Amino acid sequence: MDIDLDIQMKDAVEPDLEDQQSSSSSESFDFPINNVNYSSKPVELTSSNINQLDSWIEQLTDCKPLSEESVKKLCSMAIDVLKFEENVQPVNVPVTICGDVHGQFHDLMELFKIGGPCPDTNYLFMGDYVDRGYYSVETVSYLVAMKIRYPKRITILRGNHESRQITQVYGFYDECFRKYGSATVWKLFTDLFDYFPITALVDNKIFCLHGGLSPMIETIDQVRELKRVQEVPHEGPMCDLLWSDPDDRGGWGISPRGAGFTFGQDISEQFNHTNDLDLIARAHQLVMEGYSWSHQDLVVTIFSAPNYCYRCGNQAAIMEVDERHNREFLQYDPSIRPGEPTVTRKTPDYFL
Amino acid sequence: MPYFKPIKRIFTESDLEQWKHCETYSYIVDTIETLASSVEGKELGSPTSITPSAQTLLDILETVSEIVDKYPVVQDKGSSRFGKVEFRDFYDDIEANSEKLLAPLATNNEQSLIELTTYFNNSWGDRIRIDYGSGHELNFLAFLLCLLKLKVLTLNDSQTIVLKIFSKYLQVMRKIQKLYWLEPAGSHGVWGLDDYHFLPFLFGAAQLSPMTRSRPSSIHNKDIVDMYKDKYFYYQCIDFINQVKTGPGSGSLRWHSPMLDDISGVRKWSKVSEGMQKMYKAEVLCKLPIIQHFYFGSILKAPENLSDPSESADNEHGHQHTWGDCCGIAIPSPFAAKEMQQHTKTIPFD
Repeated sequence: MDIDLDIQMKDAVEPDLEDQQSSSSSESFDFPINNVNYSSKPVELTSSNINQLDSWIEQLTDCKPLSEESVKKLCSMAIDVLKFEENVQPVNVPVTICGDVHGQFHDLMELFKIGGPCPDTNYLFMGDYVDRGYYSVETVSYLVAMKIRYPKRITILRGNHESRQITQVYGFYDECFRKYGSATVWKLFTDLFDYFPITALVDNKIFCLHGGLSPMIETIDQVRELKRVQEVPHEGPMCDLLWSDPDDRGGWGISPRGAGFTFGQDISEQFNHTNDLDLIARAHQLVMEGYSWSHQDLVVTIFSAPNYCYRCGNQAAIMEVDERHNREFLQYDPSIRPGEPTVTRKTPDYFL
Repeated sequence: MPYFKPIKRIFTESDLEQWKHCETYSYIVDTIETLASSVEGKELGSPTSITPSAQTLLDILETVSEIVDKYPVVQDKGSSRFGKVEFRDFYDDIEANSEKLLAPLATNNEQSLIELTTYFNNSWGDRIRIDYGSGHELNFLAFLLCLLKLKVLTLNDSQTIVLKIFSKYLQVMRKIQKLYWLEPAGSHGVWGLDDYHFLPFLFGAAQLSPMTRSRPSSIHNKDIVDMYKDKYFYYQCIDFINQVKTGPGSGSLRWHSPMLDDISGVRKWSKVSEGMQKMYKAEVLCKLPIIQHFYFGSILKAPENLSDPSESADNEHGHQHTWGDCCGIAIPSPFAAKEMQQHTKTIPFD
């Protein structure tokens, strides 16, 4: 991807970070961070950091994973950015909102082609970067590097797959082990995931999150009070925000997933009314057109992994929201895979 | 020993440790090994002697296939969830009729049906989630192991069990997976062996293990896959994967099935066969997310010294505490009751 040097410098050196500092320093005390003695301000990017990040981004753009040592630095830098973000991270328009990616790196590159390169275009990703796809490591490394490099241009929320337990079942753990020969990189990333913000609020009108609503959350302020820096719990409000699904049936229902709830149109109406919202944007479910409306126009599902798992035949989509809150969906199909995978064949231990 | 409705018993890491050292675990592992070695060098079409009980079982599987035909997919409204809801009608039919269906296998031992039907019913997938994975496949194996324990089948039937009965099960299961778009339960995506099955790879590698002319790398050769797909489970699985994987990159196993690609680098089928048995133990039998759903009755007994099942199943500590704040959060009363009912909290499904 082309990276415009001017814009890089502007974003990194301009006092974006200072703005963030002053506006979020009070909030940063609102959610307790466990056992950490981090500084109370985001660290400004130095020019050597910028060079470092740019070279990582360049390497990752070619779909080449970073070294374990670099991942360690990357995650440590990312914590210093993400820990200052809020549970309900404010985001301005215009912004392009994206759903699940699941390690489909080439399709993520296609997304940036369709939506415009970051940082020229602002992006908001609603989680599920890892698991199931071939390139979860490269995908999450890339997005995290972009986040550190252009903190005001890209927002990355946490999905239910950004979790220790889920990644051990659904592929990211296997992939890290396969690519690095140990679980170190998996541990670094899953420790980092604890810091990801869990929701975002676009211009006070579009509430964005991975899953859906929680019976324990009536107001957005209640989300602000949660203690988010932890593994995704099995139940409770934080779990629900990452796991729930909208449903045709009214009221709350037991989710067949075994976590979160289903919620009906009455619930969405009440929530949007109480919080003066236009829309809930969420991801989490495969939808064949890449996006799908529920509850009339109160909830939209966005899914950005085309032909999920090489078998679902679905389109992917992203949603552009402009300055006047006009929305436009851009759909796309799977991108061409270049030749063969770059990872060399390795016999699994069981077969040695 | 009175028969009783099998229940789930493995909930914690320490339960899992007990399980790995119990009699039922060894019985499963040993029997898989016996079944696998019985089909070395044998093709799916190889003639085997089919006892009346084995024939009854094959007829039952054919009946299941006919039951599927009663519930075609009609309500396809492109719902956001993948699975088709008619699967539930099929499942309910099986559940309602399995006792009658299996009765000919338990003519002298009717009480055993309560255990047999539990494994049999769970062999077809999850009714609520409309999904299927190696845990359901394990239920079918457990059903066969019960029949062995009850001496309805014997180890003399090993070849028939693998090449005819399991093969028929697989055929019906593929039909169900395709028709109702079953979601892969707990799929590792490209990092798993297959979206649904494990045992056909294990039995398939055993079938091929004496072969030296066709090497594991031949799975990349479409002509060879075509030539062997009706003879060997392993090639049949590759053929199925080639059929269901679509889109750019679908032409290469390296993209969508890197695990199978890695394994294709092994030089000898006998090594693949050994590896599959090791892998099955580690990735299925010793994986808590799978074994937490396994049922224990009087035929396949639970390990001793487990945590108390009444405690595990009924109170809120019946799930794994792999992290902090699990039970610290109050659930509002309308949900509390329902939540408590289903509170053998397991690792959730995505």
